[in-house]
Amino acid sequence: MKSFLALPWVDRAFVPVAGTLVFLLLAAVFFQLNGYAPLQIFSQMVQGAFGNAFSTNTTLSKTIPILFCAMATALPARMGLVSVGAEGQLYFGALTGTAVVLAITAAPFWELFPAALLLALLGGALWGAIPGVLRAALGVNETIVTILMNYIAIKIVEYAVYGPWKDAANLGWPATIAFPDAAKFPSLHLGALSSNWALVLAVLLAIVLHVLVEKSRWGTGLSLLRSNPRVARMAGLSYTRHAIAVMALAGSLAGLAGWVQAANVQTHLQPDISSGYGYIGFLVAWLAGQNFLRIIPLALIMGGLLSSGDALQLFAQLPFSNTLVMQALLFISVLGVGAWRAKHRSVA
Amino acid sequence: MNIAAWFGLLSIALLMATPVLLAMLGEMLTQRTGIVNLGVEGQMLVGAAAGFAVTYASGSPWLGMLVGALAGMALSSVHALLCLGLGVNQIASGLAIFFLGNGLSAFYGAPLVGQQISGFHSLAHGWLGHLPIVGSFLGQLTSTVYLALILVLLCGLFLYRTQWGLVWRATGESADALRMLGKKPVALRIAGILTGGLFTGLAGAALSVDYTRTWVEQMTAGRGLLAVGLVIVARWNPWLALPVALIYGLSEALALRLQSMGADISPYLLGTLPYLVPLVVLLLSYRASQRGTSMPQELVGVFRGMA
Repeated sequence: MKSFLALPWVDRAFVPVAGTLVFLLLAAVFFQLNGYAPLQIFSQMVQGAFGNAFSTNTTLSKTIPILFCAMATALPARMGLVSVGAEGQLYFGALTGTAVVLAITAAPFWELFPAALLLALLGGALWGAIPGVLRAALGVNETIVTILMNYIAIKIVEYAVYGPWKDAANLGWPATIAFPDAAKFPSLHLGALSSNWALVLAVLLAIVLHVLVEKSRWGTGLSLLRSNPRVARMAGLSYTRHAIAVMALAGSLAGLAGWVQAANVQTHLQPDISSGYGYIGFLVAWLAGQNFLRIIPLALIMGGLLSSGDALQLFAQLPFSNTLVMQALLFISVLGVGAWRAKHRSVA
Repeated sequence: MNIAAWFGLLSIALLMATPVLLAMLGEMLTQRTGIVNLGVEGQMLVGAAAGFAVTYASGSPWLGMLVGALAGMALSSVHALLCLGLGVNQIASGLAIFFLGNGLSAFYGAPLVGQQISGFHSLAHGWLGHLPIVGSFLGQLTSTVYLALILVLLCGLFLYRTQWGLVWRATGESADALRMLGKKPVALRIAGILTGGLFTGLAGAALSVDYTRTWVEQMTAGRGLLAVGLVIVARWNPWLALPVALIYGLSEALALRLQSMGADISPYLLGTLPYLVPLVVLLLSYRASQRGTSMPQELVGVFRGMA
């Protein structure tokens, strides 16, 4: 038994496989306790996520922001920073991008889209850089600051859409004017599947970031800053500069999520542009062990879970909030199995 | 502003501060044993949902508070299992508790949305309210405010004046020293986490049963996270918890007061005050709190990074 577990491929697959099994067990207990037949729910989940073209398209559209937000979490984690701030960076990026749309609403695509995207990147970067500066300069714990800044960013967006940016034609509904098509990511069709270019951008960025953190000098520097800050300092790496740059870069990734949500999904800036994608992205990044390639399939699974949540609410009267419980159970299962495995391997 | 207006502002601040104060006391007791629990937010949410549900069903706010506290404790046991039993990183485990509490409270709280309860009896017409000069001020406060003030007293006396309080504090300073005393650090840390869960569940119940008297998804709105930050500001000292919680309470009360006075500021911008003010206070006091000797030494590694 022990020698079987020591095989390299078994070793690598142990945590994902055992974690998934523990999760399925916990989820089955949860559904059973609440009077739902677990196996039926599980098969409906898969149906609701990938059963037909419509559900697959919904899944893809939810995958995009999760993917960006997961990258926004994984990158700081590479140097040991626990950022839970993607949600706020998403909102703030959407806010600054919207300023461009309101300023030059009638501009053609090649002016409006790049300008709005740039501002969304910068807005997200600013919101990410602040906890980075505070961590680097004052040593303030970035986890607490990033979460508090999420609440602040959402309040500022609410201020804008209930106040100065509200379109009077919306009557009571708090939202800006509808965005012109020139502000949106162009759409993308492949047979019955349809999505937009943000999906391609997200996957490409994940691959590029994977190569950078695994193969480049910069990536090695980040790992060194995480594992041994003192040696990193002796090697001439500045913790301050890296912390600020990485947090800003992460923030800009979440800003991209903000832009695709505001422009393509809701087509307005409004208070509910995210369904907790920042937090879901955090879970995905940790489930993937901060590996950018593993983030891609995990984001797709999480997107599927959300899109099946809509379907299950409709057909099985299962409250949508069950997806929150499922996410937490999955996180707990993988964390628990991972830690258990690490402990027993070091003993063996 | 006259005296009465100041007293009015202070009483609102105390009402607002109470859930945060209770959560701070709980997290303080946990951190004093050398464990950080970022799941306070989740524990407050299940406390708020369970407390509200029981008050709604039974009509007894005290029973609701009790069940809310127990619900918070039950959820905190998952943190104990994950970080003490399995060795999961404390920050990650705490966030898992945050997500789980958020999900469970939203799932089971769904039928409670829109329901109302009457909460505690007003104290304004009891003997407290008839005291000269301060009577009207004391009468405006509610039962949970007095409960929180009593708990501040009990926590302070426990930590600094009792033998068990000394053992409790020693757990957070050095697990090795504790072992030499013949005590088990793990047992004390389990006690620290569960006691913290009890207090933070109570904090959530105080919010839904006594303050809002309704249940809404995610109604704690970051108060649990703020409490974790403010524990640092209060230097892990229960005596300082009250003034520090009042910073939060006052900024919340001020936002409300400015609004009701018709100030020409958006309520949404004013709504950032209860986050911004404690955040700035945290920044100003953070350096000193890390340099000083007030921080339980076993926490240093947890706050520095993930290693």
